Amino acid sequence: MTPVLEARGLRKTFGGVQAVRGVDIDVAKGEVVGLFGPNGAGKSTLFDLVAGAIAPDAGAVHLDGRDVTRLAAWRRARLGIGRTFQITRPFRDLTAIENVLAAVPRVGAPGRHDADAARATLAKVGLGDRADDISGRLTLGMLKRLEVARVLALQPTLLLLDEPLAGLTGREAAEILDLIVVLKSEISIVLVEHNVRQSLPVCDRALVLDAGEVIAVGLPDEIRVDPRVLKAYLGEEGRPRC
Amino acid sequence: MTITLALQLLVNGLVVGGLLGLVALGLALIFGVMRVVNFAHGEFITLGAYLTWLIAGGLGMSPLLGVPVAFLAGAAVGWAVQTLLISRVASRPSLDMLMVTYALSAIGLGLFSLAFGGDFRSYSEGPNGEVHLAGVSIGLRGLTVLCICALLSAAVMALLRSGHVGLALRAVAQNREAAASCGIDTRRAERTAFSLAVGLAAAAGSLVSLIGTTTPSVGHDWVLDGFVVVVVGGLGSIPGALLAAVLIGLVQSFCGFVFDDAWAKIITYVLLYATLLLRPQGLLGQPMEA
Amino acid sequence: MVATRRTDGVVVLASIAVAAVVAALPQLGASSYSQILVYYAAYYLALGQSWNLMSGMTGYVSFAHGALAGIGAYAAVIALNAGWPMAPALLAGPAVALLASFVIGATSLRLRGVAFTFATLFFQELALLVLRKMPISGGPGGLALQDIVPIWLPQLLMIVLACGATIVMVALRGSRTGIRLLAIKGDETAALSLGIGAAKMKVALFCVSAAIAGGAGAIHGLFTASLYPDVVFNVDVSLIALAVPMIGGVATAMGPVVGAVLYVCIGEAFAIFAPSLHVVAVGALLLLVILFMPTGLAPFIAQRLCRQSPRATNAVEGRTP
Repeated sequence: MTPVLEARGLRKTFGGVQAVRGVDIDVAKGEVVGLFGPNGAGKSTLFDLVAGAIAPDAGAVHLDGRDVTRLAAWRRARLGIGRTFQITRPFRDLTAIENVLAAVPRVGAPGRHDADAARATLAKVGLGDRADDISGRLTLGMLKRLEVARVLALQPTLLLLDEPLAGLTGREAAEILDLIVVLKSEISIVLVEHNVRQSLPVCDRALVLDAGEVIAVGLPDEIRVDPRVLKAYLGEEGRPRC
Repeated sequence: MTITLALQLLVNGLVVGGLLGLVALGLALIFGVMRVVNFAHGEFITLGAYLTWLIAGGLGMSPLLGVPVAFLAGAAVGWAVQTLLISRVASRPSLDMLMVTYALSAIGLGLFSLAFGGDFRSYSEGPNGEVHLAGVSIGLRGLTVLCICALLSAAVMALLRSGHVGLALRAVAQNREAAASCGIDTRRAERTAFSLAVGLAAAAGSLVSLIGTTTPSVGHDWVLDGFVVVVVGGLGSIPGALLAAVLIGLVQSFCGFVFDDAWAKIITYVLLYATLLLRPQGLLGQPMEA
Repeated sequence: MVATRRTDGVVVLASIAVAAVVAALPQLGASSYSQILVYYAAYYLALGQSWNLMSGMTGYVSFAHGALAGIGAYAAVIALNAGWPMAPALLAGPAVALLASFVIGATSLRLRGVAFTFATLFFQELALLVLRKMPISGGPGGLALQDIVPIWLPQLLMIVLACGATIVMVALRGSRTGIRLLAIKGDETAALSLGIGAAKMKVALFCVSAAIAGGAGAIHGLFTASLYPDVVFNVDVSLIALAVPMIGGVATAMGPVVGAVLYVCIGEAFAIFAPSLHVVAVGALLLLVILFMPTGLAPFIAQRLCRQSPRATNAVEGRTP
């Protein structure tokens, strides 16, 4: 069964900094992969490389078996890669529903992409009553959710979520995690999060990045007690925390 | 082409290049520190030119006095413009900022036309005569301009390389948020950058009035070439701006002789398009997003 | 969205009605002075809408629209002087402008930021230089239309063009394409991540915009019947193309209408009192609008008049104030 995402040997250097150093990542259909690591580990850069926002210095990205390494970001979006941003990027002068309608659905996507479908998507993330509000006036928590609704309108096969829980209240975060669980039967998800405790439970597998390299890969329970991971986060050895 | 002629064109090209460098330096400073393209830059050049014409032609004093006067006047106006107008629009989409500087340009152009009319102004005060070196005759005016440009450029480079002010400007240019969290007053840095740049523009205008005629659109013409220099050199790169200035000055000088002035300009603009096509980041700039 | 579609339909019908009335003015006995004012209002409106279509919707500022209109004028006059029939000659204007815009756009719209704006700025200068040199365009001495055309023709054509451009704007604003263009304007990176083919859309829109500007220029060439490069390619024309929508209401259909009428009024007022102050006044007005009501006059007034939800009608609403 071809994995939804297969990335090999991704490498990216900015000036003197090696942000991503030979990273491999696989995501199977219906899987949620957690991507963790300390600040500056290269997680957002990895997302940029997979989504096509920046070109890798080396390596290849395959989506459903198709080589997309040379394709521009917008083409990859049309093929089914959706991504959210660490710092939200709403179209401030457009209403929430217009934000959702701006998305161009994946080529061959079955669902409709009209105003009704957009409202339904907004309702799914709890913004149903905000559809006609100018997005520039929404709170951070709402903007985070709008970002998710917007990318769902793409009807993606692969979803890259960059810190979707940051800035959300406990309850809002729980709702998003519930949504992820519901989505994963149709969409494969890579999830970057700092809130490891809350997000690890929804992950089927986890990958830990440090200084641009993968230092651990495996099941959540394995990662939780992996000494290299603990050292990367905490700087000390062999002290399981949970 | 004889050696003498080539040297002559070289010198002329350096004079133009020096002036372009001063103009481009200001533009690069503003873009580097504030990420603003100052479409009103030309009007500040015109300001310096008319101020110097008033000093020399009107009061009969040495036009060289015009350089510091223009610089200070320009810096003062720049300070006011930045504080009252530019800073208000800084956090808005770049379309707004562009419109503000463009509107200022229209207002300035209109005011100069109103105050001085469309006549060509010039004056005979100041250095006159020629210097002869190796068969090449260099006008004293051109030589003076070249020297002052070199001096001013060197002074600005020195300022940027060392001292608190230079460090603050470079820090804000590289990473604004990081600079702010280090305790650098970013708004003050922007005011300094803008007034310094506008002062340089006015000084350049002062020198322009020395070697050419002054009209309400004189600054506009020079700033267009200034923009070419900044793009070819690399937006925001100061060494790039200086390098490209000399290059374009020489290109215009030689092409102006071989063909004519209009063709020299056409070739300059073709160079610009070629840069955008083949190497958008210019000679020394950072890659632009595509 | 259904409500705004209906109001958009009303706006379109109203525009056609107004245009028809205006076009019939000569028949209704309006003075030739007022006819000329109406003509210029239509000309400024056509130019302003063409700029609005591109720069208002995408945020990529063009300084080339004056030059695009200018080369349209030259193309039409040269074609007519060469014996072409009226219709193909007039179409030569938009055709040439479209070609030029394609070259500029394909090269510079791949890049973000000010590259496009610079490219258009230099196109203006380049056009002036080249047209002064080319013998076919009559050089600096100018070019005259050999067979003078009856004045009602350009008057009628300009009104039709201005009305048509306004309707295009209404249609665009109410469409999914319009939303996507505004998305590009708001945040191009995010737009790209949502599958919006920004580069292609920008180039296509610039070409449409240029064709309209070229058409306006061609018609204006008929009207003035003689072209001087320094007049045709004066920076004033690009200022008009830009100021009319920015002052009236950027990215709206009705904004440029307000802007064009206002521009004509200012022009007349200053022609009587202080001729050289015209440019200063427009610049000052533009500055004031940007500082204090950046969405433009029309949306500002609309919000004052009907204090309701922010989405009154696509024709008038621009962006978050």
